Amino acid sequence: MLAERRGRARIIAGGTDLVLQSQQGKIQATTLVDITRIPGLDFIEEREGYIYLGAQVTHAQIAASPLIRAKGDVLAMACGSVGGPQIRNMGTLVGNVVNALPAADGAVALFALDAETEVASLSARRWLPIAEVYQNVGVCVVDPSAEMITALRFPALQPRHKGAFQRLAPRRSLALPILNTAVVVGVQEGRFTEARIAIGPVAPTPFRAKEAEDVLIGQCVGGAVIKRAAELAAAAAQPRDSVLRGSKEYRKALVEVLVRRALAEAAGLWPRTSGGK
Amino acid sequence: MEAKFIGQSLPRYDIASKVQGQRKYPQDFNMEGQLHAQVVWSAYPHARVLKIDARQAEALPGVVKVITWRDVPVNEYGINIMDQPVLVGEGAKVRWVGDRIAIIVAESEKIARQARDLVRVEYEPLSVVMDPRQAMKPGAPLVHEERDSNILKHIPIRRGDIEEGFAQADVIVEGYYVTDAVEHAYMQPEAALGYIDEQGRVTVIAAAQWPHDDLHQIAHMLSLPEDQVREIVPAIGGAFGGREDMYIQHLAALAAFCTRRPVKMVWSRTESVQRSGKRHPFYMRHKTGATREGKLTAVEIEIISDAGAYASTSIPILSNAASFSAGPYVVPNARVDAYTVYTNNAVTMAMRGFGATQPPIAYELQMDKLAGKLGMDPVEIRMKNLFEEGSIAITGNRMSHGVGIKETLRQAALAAEWREENGHWRKPALPPAEAPHLRRGIGVACAYKNVCYSMGFDDTSTAEVTLNLDRSGEIVRALVKIGASEVGQGVWTALAQIAAEALRVDIRKVNLALVDTAQVPSAGSSSASRHVYMSGNAVLRACQRALAKRERVLHEETGESKVTVTYTYHGREARATTPLDPETGQCEPHISYSYGTQIALVEVDTETGEVQVLKLWAANDMGRAINPQMIYGQVAGGVHMGVGYALTEHFIQKEGRALTKSFSEYYIPTVRDMPREFVNILVEVPDPSGPFGAKGLGETPTLSTAPAILNAIHDATGVWLDGVPATPERVFMACRKSL
Amino acid sequence: MPELRMRVNGKEVTVEVEPDDLLAYVLRDKLELIGTKIGCGEGECGACTVLVDGQSVTSCIYPALKAQGRDVTTIEGLRRNEELHVIQQAFIDCAASQCGYCTPGMIMSAKALLDANPNPSREEIEAGISGNLCRCTGYYQIVEAIHLAAQRLAERGEEGSHGS
Repeated sequence: MLAERRGRARIIAGGTDLVLQSQQGKIQATTLVDITRIPGLDFIEEREGYIYLGAQVTHAQIAASPLIRAKGDVLAMACGSVGGPQIRNMGTLVGNVVNALPAADGAVALFALDAETEVASLSARRWLPIAEVYQNVGVCVVDPSAEMITALRFPALQPRHKGAFQRLAPRRSLALPILNTAVVVGVQEGRFTEARIAIGPVAPTPFRAKEAEDVLIGQCVGGAVIKRAAELAAAAAQPRDSVLRGSKEYRKALVEVLVRRALAEAAGLWPRTSGGK
Repeated sequence: MEAKFIGQSLPRYDIASKVQGQRKYPQDFNMEGQLHAQVVWSAYPHARVLKIDARQAEALPGVVKVITWRDVPVNEYGINIMDQPVLVGEGAKVRWVGDRIAIIVAESEKIARQARDLVRVEYEPLSVVMDPRQAMKPGAPLVHEERDSNILKHIPIRRGDIEEGFAQADVIVEGYYVTDAVEHAYMQPEAALGYIDEQGRVTVIAAAQWPHDDLHQIAHMLSLPEDQVREIVPAIGGAFGGREDMYIQHLAALAAFCTRRPVKMVWSRTESVQRSGKRHPFYMRHKTGATREGKLTAVEIEIISDAGAYASTSIPILSNAASFSAGPYVVPNARVDAYTVYTNNAVTMAMRGFGATQPPIAYELQMDKLAGKLGMDPVEIRMKNLFEEGSIAITGNRMSHGVGIKETLRQAALAAEWREENGHWRKPALPPAEAPHLRRGIGVACAYKNVCYSMGFDDTSTAEVTLNLDRSGEIVRALVKIGASEVGQGVWTALAQIAAEALRVDIRKVNLALVDTAQVPSAGSSSASRHVYMSGNAVLRACQRALAKRERVLHEETGESKVTVTYTYHGREARATTPLDPETGQCEPHISYSYGTQIALVEVDTETGEVQVLKLWAANDMGRAINPQMIYGQVAGGVHMGVGYALTEHFIQKEGRALTKSFSEYYIPTVRDMPREFVNILVEVPDPSGPFGAKGLGETPTLSTAPAILNAIHDATGVWLDGVPATPERVFMACRKSL
Repeated sequence: MPELRMRVNGKEVTVEVEPDDLLAYVLRDKLELIGTKIGCGEGECGACTVLVDGQSVTSCIYPALKAQGRDVTTIEGLRRNEELHVIQQAFIDCAASQCGYCTPGMIMSAKALLDANPNPSREEIEAGISGNLCRCTGYYQIVEAIHLAAQRLAERGEEGSHGS
C-alpha cells in the first residue's frame, strides 16, 4: 500500500504522535495505513536468547509484561513512565522509535539494551542496531513512505544483569522528561563486567556514554567508581540551553546525579526508585 | 433554633447531571443551520496594521463572511476601561498577540480554519515593550499612544512617619520578589454560540462570570439597547477569574449580528493558552523594620505590575494589592508605591486572588527573614503582629466583623505540632529525611483578602424569590432567580441551602433558575469570593420578605397561590467602602474579609532541586461553613493552584510571544504532585453582616500555599527562593550557590 | 466516506466518517454523545477519556476508524436503566466534582482502573487517574470516591448482585 501511494501514505499504529503532527501540519499524508489490524505483530516473546517485540505492542503492555519485567526490566520501567495510562494504552514502542525524539523514555531503555529493529520494505527485511535508526531529532532512518519497523529485539537480560531507570520531569505524570537515563550493568563476583549507560535528551538522539561505561569495566562495584562514571557521563553530555527543559548547566549537573543514582540502584547500593516518582 | 441546612454537607446541586455527562457547557450546544467562526489573530505583539486583504478567504467555498473592523458598530470594549478594540483595523495598532484582526464565519469549522490562513495582513512591526520596569521609564515606546506614559495607574499609601518607623527598628530586612505570569487553565476551553432569538435579541450562550456586565458591553459594541441583548450561562467548566472579562461573547454576538444566523465559536487549547489573559506578574521590593521584640515598625514597598496590552481590571487589582501589601499585620508606618504598567505582553486580569496572591510571596518571606534575624519562631513573630478585632490597617481603616486570622494561625500551628507556652511558640522537631541529599523543612504563611468589591464600588446582588403555595398555604416550591454564575465553586448549592434554611422547607423544594439575563436579575460577578456573602444576603432577605408576604397573603385570605419578592442587597449596608485617597491611600477599602493560614512540610532533593510537599495544613476562616464538604473541595482546589504557583506553573513569554504554547508545556499539578497529606481546618469567626455569619472562601485557600512552601524550602535548605515558580532548576541553582 | 461500524455503549452503530476524523468528535458531533468532553485536543488532559475494548484512551487523538469493530464505552454508557453506576454515586457522595468538566473522563479512567484492579491501593488509584487533570478539586475527593466505589463494588460482589 505504501508503495502504491508513493510518499503520500504513512503508517499509523497508536497515532499518539502522528495525529498531533498531522494537526500541526508537519505531515502531509493523505492515506494512513493502520498496522494494528495486521495479525501477528503483537507478540512479546523470547526466542534463542532474544526478547522480541512486535510493532503493535503498546507501552502499557510492555510495562505489564512478566517476560519483560524478568528479562528486560529497564524497558518496562521506562515504558511505564511515559505520559499517563491512556497514552500508554494507545502508543506503541515501535511508533515511538519511528518518531525518533531523544526524550523518549522507551528509546533510552532500548539503547541501554543494545536493541535492534527489524525494518521491512516491499523487497527485504533487515535488522538494524537501534543507534543506526536514530539519525537526528525526529529523523528516523526508516523511510515512512516505503518501509516500516515490524519488530524490536534485544538480548534477554541474564541473572548477572541489573537495570535501572531514572527520570526527572517538570511534574510527576503527563510530562516529557527534562532528563532520563537507563542503565544495564553486568556484575560478576563483585565486579562490573558489562555496562551500558543511555541518556536522553542531551543530544539529537539518545546518547550512550561510552567513556563512562568503559571506566566501570573490571572495577569493583562501589560508590567511588560509580561517581567517576557519572562524572564522565556528565562531561560527555552536551545539552543546549532550553527555555522549557532548562539551562545547559543544570542539565549537565542532572546527568551526573541521575546516572550515579541509576548505577547505584542497579548495583544494589540504592533503594529501588526506578520509573520516576 | 438549630440550623437544619446550614453547616450540612448536602450533595451539590448539579452534581448528578455532571457525573452522567448530561450537563451542557457552551461547546455542547448546537443549533439548526449554525455556522462556525474562527478568529484571525494578530501575528505580532506590537505593530501597525497597514492592510487587511480578505478576498482570498472570502472566495473560499463555504465561507459566509469575513468580519473586520468595518463591520463593528462601536469598536471598543473593556470591563473597567474600554481600551480594547473588538477587531483591529487598517491604520490601527495591534498591541499583543491576542488582538484580533478578523472573524471568519463559515459552514464548517474546518473551512473556517482553512480560510484563516488565507487572510493576508500587512503589518509594520513596532518595538516590543516587554518589561513593565522598563516600560514605565520616560522615553519608552508607548503601548497606548494617546497616553503620555505606559503607567496606567500609580497608587501611593502613606501612613505615619516612615523615617521615624525605620529609626525605631532594631532590625531591617530588604527583599526583592518576582512572581511570573500564570494561566487559569480551566478545563473547558473557550466556546460560545451566538444567535438571534425569537424576540430578535442578539443572544449568546457562553461561560461567563459576569453576564450582566457582558450585556452592557455587547450592547455598547452593537449600539443596541440592553434589552435587545441577552446572555445565557449554562454550565461553566472552571473560571478562576479568567471568565470575568468578556473574552468570546462579543465575538459570537458580532458574528450572529452580522450574519443573522446562529454562529458557534470554539477555541483550541493552544489558542486559550497563548491568547487568553493571565495573572499579573508582580515585581515587589520590600523593606521591613521591626523591634527586637518582633513588633513591626515600618514597611516600605514598591510594586510594579505588568498590565499587559489592555487595562482589564489592572487598576482594581493594583488597589487591592496595595491595600494588602503589608500583609494582615499592624504596621504603624507605611510607605507603598504601586504601579501598573502597560506592555505588549499578554493581557493580565483577574485570577484567583485578584491582587492578593502575589503580595504574600513578599510579605510572608519578609516575616520569616525577620524571624531569622531575631532568632524568633515564625509563628511567634506573626502572633505578635497579626490583626485582631479593632486593629488599624495601613489604609487607616479599622479591621472588624470577625477578624479570624490569629485563630487560623493558632489552629494550623497546633495541628502541625507547634508547642505554645506562655505566648512563646516553638516549631516541632522534624523527623529526618531518609537520605543525606534530602532535606525536610516546615514553613508557615498567613494571608487574607477582601470579600466583595472594594474602594467605593457599590456592590449589589438582586434575588427574586417566588413561592408556590398549596391550598393550605404550605410552600410547595421555591424558585430563586439570581444571575449568579455557577463556575464550579458551589454557589448554587450554597444559595439553595440558605434559601431552604430561611424558608424552613426541604431543600429539594428549592430550585434555581437558569442564568439567563432575560429572566434573572443581576447578582454581580462570580468573583471576589462574594456570592455567598452578597447573593446569600440577597437570597436570605428575599426569602424572609417572601415569608412575611406569604403571612399577609394567607391572613388576608386572598386565595393567591404565589408570592414573589425581589430584593437587592447593597454591600454598603454592612460597610460603606470609600476610594483610596489619591495621595495617602487612606480609605475604608473593603466590605468583608476572609483569612487563612497554611503550613507546608516539604522535602527537598538538593541534588535535583525537586520539592515534594509531604503534608499541608490549611486553616481558613470563612465566618460560617455553609457546606463543609464543599469547603474541603474549595480549599483543596485552592491548594492545587497554590502548589502549581509555587512549583510547576510558568507561562513564559519572550518579546511578547508565548513560549509556553500549549497544555503539554504548562504544568498544572497532577494527582501525584499534590501534598501527600492534606489537613483541612475550618475556623468560624462569624461576620455578623454575612448570611448566617458567612464570609467568603473561594480565593483565600490559594493565597498562603506558595509562601508557606517557599518558607519551608528555606527551612529545609537555608536557601531563599524569592519568587515563583521555584522550579527544580531554580531550587538547584540556589542550593548550589549557597554551598 | 468510509463507514465506521462499532458498538457504542452496547449498541451497534454505523456512521460515515472522514479518514482523519477523531473518535471524540465523532461521538460528540455525529452521535450526539456530548458527555465526552474536549479539554485540550492533544491527549494531554484526559477529559475525553473513553474505553475502547475496555482500555482507556484519550479519544481526542484516537482516529475514529481505529474503533472499527470495537466496543466503545462512554460516560453515557455507565447508567443501568434508572440506576447510576456505583462510581457515579460515589462521586456524588464524596463531592468529587465541582465544575464537572473533567468528571466524565475521570470516571471512565476510574472504571478502567477498577475493572482491571478491583482493590486498588491509594497509590494505584493515583496511578489510574494520573492521566486526568482537574483544576477544581485538588483530587483528594476524587481519590476518596474511587476508593469508596471499590469498597461498594466489593460489597455488592459479596451480595451476589449483578451491578457492575
